[in-house]
Amino acid sequence: MTPDVPWLASESALRGDAPHRRGVSTHRHILRTWIAAASVVGLAGCALFGVDALRVILVSLVFTFGVDLMFVMSLRRASSGRLSRTFLIGILAGLTLPADVDWHVAATCGTVSAVVGNVIFGGWLHPALIGRVFVQFLFWQKLSFAGASIALGPVLTAANLFVGDLDQSVRVEHYEGWLETTVPAPADAFELTPPLWSLRQFAQGQVPVDGNFRFEPLLRDEMPPWIDTLIGAVPGGIGETSTLSIVIVGFFLIYRGYLKWQLPVAVLSAAFVAASILPVESGGDYVWFPVFAAEGGRAVGLAYVLYHLTAGQLMLGAFLLAGDVVSSPMRAHGHVVFGIGIGVLTIFMRLYGVLECECYWAILIMNVFVGTIDRFTSRRVLGTAPSEDAVAA
Amino acid sequence: MKHSILTHLLGPRSAFDGGLYLPDRKAGLARRPIQTFHAEGPLHVPLTVRRDLLTETIVRVGDRVVLGQALSRATNDQSVGVHAPASGVITKIERVWTVEDGFLPGAILAPDGSNERMPQHQGWDDESIIVQLAECGVVCDIPRAPLHVVMREAIAAGVTDLIVNAMETEPYLTADLRTLVEFPGRMIDATCELADALGVSRAILAVPFRHRRVVRRLQSEAAGRYVEIVALSNPYPQCHPVMLLKAVLDREVAPGASILSEDAVVLPLSTVRRASDALLSDLPTTHALMTIAGDAVEHAGTYRVPIGTPMSRLARRVGVAVPAAQAVYGGPLTGSALGYDDAVVTPDSKALLLFAKADAARPVPCVRCGWCIEDCPVGIDPPSLMRLESEMVCTDQKRIALKACIECGLCSHVCPSRLPLSETIIRNRIRFAGPEPSTEGGTRH
Repeated sequence: MTPDVPWLASESALRGDAPHRRGVSTHRHILRTWIAAASVVGLAGCALFGVDALRVILVSLVFTFGVDLMFVMSLRRASSGRLSRTFLIGILAGLTLPADVDWHVAATCGTVSAVVGNVIFGGWLHPALIGRVFVQFLFWQKLSFAGASIALGPVLTAANLFVGDLDQSVRVEHYEGWLETTVPAPADAFELTPPLWSLRQFAQGQVPVDGNFRFEPLLRDEMPPWIDTLIGAVPGGIGETSTLSIVIVGFFLIYRGYLKWQLPVAVLSAAFVAASILPVESGGDYVWFPVFAAEGGRAVGLAYVLYHLTAGQLMLGAFLLAGDVVSSPMRAHGHVVFGIGIGVLTIFMRLYGVLECECYWAILIMNVFVGTIDRFTSRRVLGTAPSEDAVAA
Repeated sequence: MKHSILTHLLGPRSAFDGGLYLPDRKAGLARRPIQTFHAEGPLHVPLTVRRDLLTETIVRVGDRVVLGQALSRATNDQSVGVHAPASGVITKIERVWTVEDGFLPGAILAPDGSNERMPQHQGWDDESIIVQLAECGVVCDIPRAPLHVVMREAIAAGVTDLIVNAMETEPYLTADLRTLVEFPGRMIDATCELADALGVSRAILAVPFRHRRVVRRLQSEAAGRYVEIVALSNPYPQCHPVMLLKAVLDREVAPGASILSEDAVVLPLSTVRRASDALLSDLPTTHALMTIAGDAVEHAGTYRVPIGTPMSRLARRVGVAVPAAQAVYGGPLTGSALGYDDAVVTPDSKALLLFAKADAARPVPCVRCGWCIEDCPVGIDPPSLMRLESEMVCTDQKRIALKACIECGLCSHVCPSRLPLSETIIRNRIRFAGPEPSTEGGTRH
């Protein structure tokens, strides 16, 4: 016992309100983990699309962050966690763009994300997606499939990962799959039909039937092997295609508790069910329940539905975009409703809609209903009758 | 109580929505046996147990008292007297600072180290249990009142179930766990006595399932008695009486109402321990059983401390590794700040936690993560209640939510934006929902 050693560091040790110990996850941890997750997906995109992908992500990031930084500085206030989120938004906006766009497209996307998404709407509609759908309209000649008789997009071959140049691309006649494809020496990349475009064409009855076979021509002639859509070696946005990396970082976010597992499960299962049920136009009539289609002894319907899950923007949307903390519902129950809405709307718009980026539109539409969802999924206060909280404040 | 293999491996399911399994930080702490501090230096003994309970001082300056001798006497049947925590001489009568009640009348007792104690009578049988509890100065932690008053109210309300709360799900706290490890039989005996006095049809001892050996030991001790051992999973705040009632009996207390309205009474194990001393050994309450822990403490553990010991002496006695940047009286989530340097130990003190770093962070705007809503044990919406801070009116809906809050502090604990959610709710409860609802139901733990 040494009476002269002070036992308190200062007078303030005697003050303070309960709780005196806080949990370890702060908004900094959450945003850092999300930024790391988005960066891993971006890295996968850089591998598949080369230096161009890095350029697009960086331009989008610089413009989003720079514009928002100017706004925050003009307020002369501490950013209080806002700029970290803007950083994440910048990366996500870059991930939604294809790698072969010009730098001014990425710059516009970033600027609109910051100005419209963050400053004007305050982040309650996903800012990156606002920027993305804006440039979809503004630069439709480059980004849209509309009016094109055949859409093509470049992908690096397996031998030219990271270092290849997307401009040095050639068309391949007999496409057997990404790992089997090689291109002659000066070229680094090959051009391929985006599977999303093929799916949309198919839903509108543009893919001719082959005798009794309705689904077989699509899967045999139009689509790349399904494994390619898992690896991500198909044309599309930088972060959209690599399903594998998205799922891995998504599981990590779920493991850390920064993403509710109910959301991707709800989005993907709702999309699965919607794609299984909703009819496609084929040979002049409508085929309901395409999932049960079997042709030549093969479950082509199931393959068609699986392509719907992995081919487009749905994976990126389900794991990284819809789970954005600010613009998603509060409760896990709400995430289920939100996710089901996104999944069904995405498939519906893909099959019958004219808007491209259907998954992004679906997320933005569901963002509008977040307040309503929160209201109807509010919890019952312990010791009160269930009817009392129907009129949530 | 039979468990399936799955329950043995995973534990029982949580019995209420929300709650959180906190890192319990009891690993080394709970292995150390209870040690007794003998009084060294003057004790600042408060002469009443709550500010509004009147007592009459029956010692004068210069009197010599022995351990267990009465220093003050109740002036009405709502109050209890206080007994000397050591033998020695009264040197002064002056006010002392307690954390829960502020300044109370007190006596300064200079111990002489002789440990002479009052002779124990063995013949209290002719009096009732309740009179014995009152004479021994037994106080209850929740509600903060003398135990005989709590029991009389419970009998008047016609309770049918007694739940003894040994859950202790807050981090660091080990007093109840050590009590169960060291005196399981006494706790069962005292629970039986209290159940007899209350006239309840069921007596339940709720213990955390994760301490399986303790549960098995208690089950063998309770074999043939009418105390039921219920092993529960322990998400925080399973230790709160309202959550315990929901988990054990599946009864929900209406917001702001008393637990007695659900025909049950919940007594903390610490209270039962004090009652066991009074009923089984005829010893008055002279010591508090406290956990002294935290990363600034060298010899953390569970200690039996004489009432009236200043906290500063307690801290030096267990050794301070670094000067504490935060001193907490009670659990880390529900405790209070000491407020004043020379706060003293009272009969219901349960912990002194000293932390090397204060856990203060600048709050940032809400990011709508929904963690507070998911984890809230009573299902209220803390962010919407926080907005009341800047509003002048309060809807009925929100008033009910304010009353339903059990002040567990979990919303502030989990908030990644570091918002002062529970602090604001407690402030607004006073503003909009009137004073504390009652001493029984949703008061602090």
